[in-house]
Amino acid sequence: MEEKVLEILEEYCEEALSYDGDSMMEDGIIDSFTVINIVSELEEEFDIEIDAKYVVAENFKNKEAIIALVERLLEE
Amino acid sequence: MGEMFCRVVVIGYGKATGNILKYIEKQRDIYGYRLEFIEHEFHALSVTKKICEEMGIPYANMPDKRELTEYLCDIQEKTLIVSASNNYLFPAACVEKENITIINFHNALLPDYPGRNAPSWVIYQGEQETGITWHYVTPGIDEGNIIIQKKCAIGPEEKAYELTERLMDLACEGFEESFAAVLEERAQTRPQEAGPGRRMYRSYEVPGDGVFALDEEPAAIYRLLRSVDYGKSAIFPPLRTVVDGVQAEVVRYRKIVPEKKKDEEHVLYLPLGEAHLLKIKYKEYRQE
Repeated sequence: MEEKVLEILEEYCEEALSYDGDSMMEDGIIDSFTVINIVSELEEEFDIEIDAKYVVAENFKNKEAIIALVERLLEE
Repeated sequence: MGEMFCRVVVIGYGKATGNILKYIEKQRDIYGYRLEFIEHEFHALSVTKKICEEMGIPYANMPDKRELTEYLCDIQEKTLIVSASNNYLFPAACVEKENITIINFHNALLPDYPGRNAPSWVIYQGEQETGITWHYVTPGIDEGNIIIQKKCAIGPEEKAYELTERLMDLACEGFEESFAAVLEERAQTRPQEAGPGRRMYRSYEVPGDGVFALDEEPAAIYRLLRSVDYGKSAIFPPLRTVVDGVQAEVVRYRKIVPEKKKDEEHVLYLPLGEAHLLKIKYKEYRQE
């Protein structure tokens, strides 16, 4: 799963792979439009529905947070 | 040139607003105005507050319309209000104040597609071209004189959020090109030449009334799906259709090559041109 998430990030925001901070939005690594693309790809890849309540800066603060989000949703 | 603007107020949200704020802040050394930002609508992924903090721009959160109106109407000094990606409608009491000038970014080529969600409507109508307009604000909606317009083509696969992003970039370009002229009150404007049948798009209106039939042309269904696609932003309710006699709502969709087709529950495949399929994932619609 993790590898697939990283592949998606690489496609839409390569910088996210090397980012080691804790706020990709505020640090200008990704913007809200990139998040839409990433969410769309994650939903398709893992056949999950990512509710709008999860699409917040905290869940997209770095690659680890995105992986954790997908993990949580797959367990639900 | 008369008295200069001594205060600039930016109202809006999103990428365009953030970039415009940064630009106006950089120009402050030249013109000496006081800059402030008002956030009227909250967005989960907004970074404008952070930009204000970093650049030392006064920030205020005013979700209440009445409070915002009172605040703006109380302004006494000569002020330019920059409305960028902003859905607050300035009341006449504010617009008509002599010391206040308001400019607004509209995400279409006015006088066409005034009102809300213009990127959706241009995609839905199958337009080949759209663009942005910066215009002066009058008491009417999207009616004021045009300051600058910029055009762009609409891609055949473009979704509403993708077009919106490109229009925001165009809006920033247009703003940077015209800001000095607006500040110095030498902008060459032109009136909008709207015909009598000009349609105003309202916030409650949804392309295709939010429904489609599976026997419609797949290309038209795909266009409708793209036109309301803002990711997780609930700008429009999910589109609805009827599958095997049951009301269904679209969960997501995608244009795929036939090799990607899989046997999945609650998924429809419609032929899209000669080489693709339109994959639509749906769930049963339950009225809340």
